[in-house]
Amino acid sequence: MDIKKIGEEVVKKAVQYGAEEAEAVIENVKEFNVSVRKGEIETLQKSVSKGLGLRLFINKQLGFSYTSDLSPESLDETVKKTVELAGITEAKPWHGLPDFGPQPLAELDLYDAELAEIPDEKKIAIARDVERIAMAQDKRITNSEGGSFSNTEREAGLFNSKGIAYVFKESRCSFGAYVIAGEGDAMQGGGWSSTKRFFKELAAVEEVAKTAAQKAIEKLGARPVETKKVPVIFDRYAAPSFWMGLLFALDGDAVFRKTTFMTEMLEKSIASPFVTITDNPTMPRFVGSVPFDGEGNVTRKNTIVDKGILKMFLYDSQTARKAGVKVNTMARRYGYQSGPSAGFLCLIAENGKDDPASLFKDVKEGLLVTGMRGLGTDVTTGAFSVGCSGFWIVDGAKAFPVDGVTLGGTTLDILKAIDKVANDLDLRGSLNSPSFRVAEITVGGKKA
Amino acid sequence: MHFPKPDQSMDRRSFLKKGMHTGALIVSFPIWKHFAGKDTDSLLAAEAGLPAGLDKESLRKLLEVCLSRGGEFAELYYERTVENSISLDEDKISTATRGLDMGVGFRVLQGEKTGFAFSDDLDFTRLKEAAETAALIASGGVKEKPEKFTALSPPSYYLVKVSPDTITPKAKAELLIKANAVARAFDKRITQVGVSFYDINKKILIANSEGLYVEDSQTLTSLGAGCAALEGQQRSRGYESKSGSYGYEHFDIKLAEGMARTAAEMAIRNLPAEDAPAGEFPIVIAKGYGGIFFHEAIGHSLEGDGIRKKTSCFWDKLGQPIATSVVTLADDGTYRGAWGAVNVDDEGCVGQNTVLIDKGICAAFIQDKLNARLMKMKPTGNGRRESYKFPPYPRMTNTYLLPGEAEPEDIIKSVDKGLYIAKIGGGNVQPTTGRFVFSVTEGYMIESGKVTKPLKGIMLMGSGQDVLKNISIVGNDLLVIGGGSCGKEGQSKPVGFGNPTLKVDKITVGGKKA
Repeated sequence: MDIKKIGEEVVKKAVQYGAEEAEAVIENVKEFNVSVRKGEIETLQKSVSKGLGLRLFINKQLGFSYTSDLSPESLDETVKKTVELAGITEAKPWHGLPDFGPQPLAELDLYDAELAEIPDEKKIAIARDVERIAMAQDKRITNSEGGSFSNTEREAGLFNSKGIAYVFKESRCSFGAYVIAGEGDAMQGGGWSSTKRFFKELAAVEEVAKTAAQKAIEKLGARPVETKKVPVIFDRYAAPSFWMGLLFALDGDAVFRKTTFMTEMLEKSIASPFVTITDNPTMPRFVGSVPFDGEGNVTRKNTIVDKGILKMFLYDSQTARKAGVKVNTMARRYGYQSGPSAGFLCLIAENGKDDPASLFKDVKEGLLVTGMRGLGTDVTTGAFSVGCSGFWIVDGAKAFPVDGVTLGGTTLDILKAIDKVANDLDLRGSLNSPSFRVAEITVGGKKA
Repeated sequence: MHFPKPDQSMDRRSFLKKGMHTGALIVSFPIWKHFAGKDTDSLLAAEAGLPAGLDKESLRKLLEVCLSRGGEFAELYYERTVENSISLDEDKISTATRGLDMGVGFRVLQGEKTGFAFSDDLDFTRLKEAAETAALIASGGVKEKPEKFTALSPPSYYLVKVSPDTITPKAKAELLIKANAVARAFDKRITQVGVSFYDINKKILIANSEGLYVEDSQTLTSLGAGCAALEGQQRSRGYESKSGSYGYEHFDIKLAEGMARTAAEMAIRNLPAEDAPAGEFPIVIAKGYGGIFFHEAIGHSLEGDGIRKKTSCFWDKLGQPIATSVVTLADDGTYRGAWGAVNVDDEGCVGQNTVLIDKGICAAFIQDKLNARLMKMKPTGNGRRESYKFPPYPRMTNTYLLPGEAEPEDIIKSVDKGLYIAKIGGGNVQPTTGRFVFSVTEGYMIESGKVTKPLKGIMLMGSGQDVLKNISIVGNDLLVIGGGSCGKEGQSKPVGFGNPTLKVDKITVGGKKA
């Protein structure tokens, strides 16, 4: 499939049919996916899929369509209908393509050409091995949800009437296991995985299997605690969803509409000085990297929070123009089936200075959070509430596993009460964080 | 262009894209702002016939290819879906979009194994390639021939007279404009109004090696309004929607205006909301939105796959008491006009009404064909998939608690100090432990038997097993609602749910006040 040819022709056709500006995104995706349970293959999936999304503007009116049918007749029909749809919407002065044109793209080395050569048998064997080894770790492991291996090869393009014509290839492979420890009402599940661009860089099967098993076993016997205010440590692998909740509150359009509690906070202190948050999708070979964003802007590192000071809100070209600010290369797309919107691409809460063990020091009684249910932050009100599991800490050490408790407070209070940030960042995906400690949060549990 | 998936690792089980036989189970409502726009008029009406290449002779040939390596069962699922959406924002019609997705998914079963492949290219050669890929799962078995087709004509549970796909976007826009005007005029503290209309028009064809041949036209329609209010530093939201397997005849300007007023009222009422308390409380859940609670906290743990694998906390509970005797819970694909209604499920089984919990006794599980066969039970019409790109799994349709006899007023009066839960925004569950969380989007204190001040930041947490044993009173006012979407195995599916007003004697509430 010639993505470039189709993309450029669709943009040209849109202009012929009356669009003032047009943009097409196309993708062609090849996927493999195997899941294994108790040694037997459960599901083996292979597929190739494609699709095109078309966004166009006429008199600052917006039309959008998508189709999975890329035949010439279907594309012609799609263009015509999208022009008609633009006629129904009302003009907004900020509507239109981004202001920038083509720029040179960085070579980020995101495609593993060898992945296609790896036989299915080898991938299936990895899925089997990771589950088998995980289950063999401990006799308290009684059951399994399975092991799996999946990989994706994707070619994607973005084309617009301002001359942008980008095509790039990426790959991704992943494997993991999820096992269950204990029996009856005391069952606890735990899983782990490794995801990389390059097959050769995947973690060792034993390492992933052992971690999965440990995650299930360490939760056995988890119980709620009584409601009280204590210091709370967010483990580095639980912390990312905390930051994700926060980032939703930094959406530039929500700020413009004054529907987020962060509205008045630009250039003000929103967190303790130990907190620095960046968006950095530019690291070569990294699974969270991408050469251009959802509207064709070349990606770069952006600092969102610098030592506790809020430095930017998140904008795409539409919302930036509306708010009268500069766009900041963080437009996202959730597939070809929708247009771009502001959001983070590869979030990194930066390492602090503290040794991870020092977070526990001086904690007479507290909570280590290893799992969060929900994102916590209410974008409108800034109230924070989340369900969580983890460990109760007594005199600086893990005492027993905890589940069925909640954390409650306000996001700003929690951010400002962060008194230690560890130096244990482990870059795994599009959301990354070191462990950190909050001086005090209300842990909700049984009757106090 | 990139679609980073939030990697909420660890406790949540969403770490591999579609790989794990797991997946965080999440139901959420598309609150107005997230209604991504999509739109069209009648040109792609759902009535469009089947493509030329999918005549019965070709289907039979493809199923033969599926069984060529010795599979026991083969199935073909054709789908053509047109989505339309139109939305209003900042006093203007801001987006109008349409989308088309079509293709064929092939599934081959042998024992507990599934081979799956799909093609979004309807050319026979491409379809044959996909069928060959799915066939690869099997080896060595006896080569069966597909049975002769017998067409199935199921009864209809959809309330669709006028297809929304035949209505012009301009006519739909009129509803949004009128609703916006009402919400704006309601109170000057209303600062943002969003209204949207969307419809999904799905034409499916399922044929399998057992001789099943069935077609279905599925229509889902939704109108929703959302408002934001601001007063000083106090912010609040309100929303209301009507969603179901409805034709356009169920929507008019009066409905849209009423919906806008309800959403605006909710936002204004919640402006003075105070921080929620933390700890254990009795709660009263209002009719309708509490159904999400039964979907998450109980329904997911009764799905056949988790039961068969013994990974669900209810796997050995059939015939045993798991709830108080006031609890009767159904999953009902035949609830007319509901968001999760199915004439046939995505495996071609006719929609059914299954009592899951009968007066507190665990009475049935939610089954698709595969799990039912392996467990020697009957399928319950719950084999569902997001699209031709995914294999089916046991999934809920419309899950609701059956009404009891109590008056809603009396239930509130029975609480001295507790919470009144009016609307739930979303939640998720870990089916192994049954532990769930729900975020409450509208809730109040109950003091001395009366609903008093509004609260913000309420989170409900607990385990399904515990809550079932703490439901003490069930009201007589069942309401089934739609608009929600359930996530499982990386697939999203529309589900309906409902409940009458009910009381839970104690549940953990996460809030700010210790």
